Amino acid sequence: MNRWRTKREHQIYSSKLFQALCRSRRTSSSTSAKELHQTADRVLAITAKGTSRWSRAILAAPLTAGTNMKKHKKAKVTVHTRLRKPVVNREKKKLPVVERKLKALRRLVPGCRKLSCNNLLEETSDYIAALEMQARAMTAITEFLGRGEAQAPTDRQGSIGNM
Amino acid sequence: RRSRSKQSSVSSIADDQITDLVSKLQHLIPELRRRRFDKVSTSKVLQETCNYIRSLHREVEDLSDRLSQLLASTDSDSDQAAIIRSLLMQ
Repeated sequence: MNRWRTKREHQIYSSKLFQALCRSRRTSSSTSAKELHQTADRVLAITAKGTSRWSRAILAAPLTAGTNMKKHKKAKVTVHTRLRKPVVNREKKKLPVVERKLKALRRLVPGCRKLSCNNLLEETSDYIAALEMQARAMTAITEFLGRGEAQAPTDRQGSIGNM
Repeated sequence: RRSRSKQSSVSSIADDQITDLVSKLQHLIPELRRRRFDKVSTSKVLQETCNYIRSLHREVEDLSDRLSQLLASTDSDSDQAAIIRSLLMQ
């Protein structure tokens, strides 16, 4: 989980992602935001090197062109009706609510719908750390591309001297 | 599977498992890290975790949107090597 915070991982991911984006630009005239997001997720999963369930789930999912991969369907209604039942002899009134939120969490982390609590913790922490890195890396790419717009290409070549 | 709820002592998910999960999650969520010494309820921690993941998803969605526009308008092929070098230097 801590590796997502290292500079190295950030460098690997951002350069891999950028290369993947340039490749896809050559094959198709334009990349929609959704396709780009999908690419970003897949490269993230590849960078994880199969060590986590969520990354394997992303790679196993079929590629969808243009449609939203994440399905926001509501969970089964039975979960909500449980809340309406009169609380007779239950010490923990909150349990249904907690279960409901656990279920929501399981839906948010790819591939974790049937995971136990302990494994869910591990997957969630890894997933959150990876997502944070993804956001940082994509921000960095955006900044570099933005800078390319402001200056002429020849100027930039000259300014990048120290490697 | 959950029909055992009639007995109050038996819960379908072990309570200490949830407590453990919840206390560790609290450290991951920026919103809750600040309130480390306050007692935060289990459902609140789970709610904040879900909210945080969703906000990260949205952030990446927005970045994807901006990037796709930038890529369309930039001729990045000529600068590709330079950009990659910059990214590896970060």
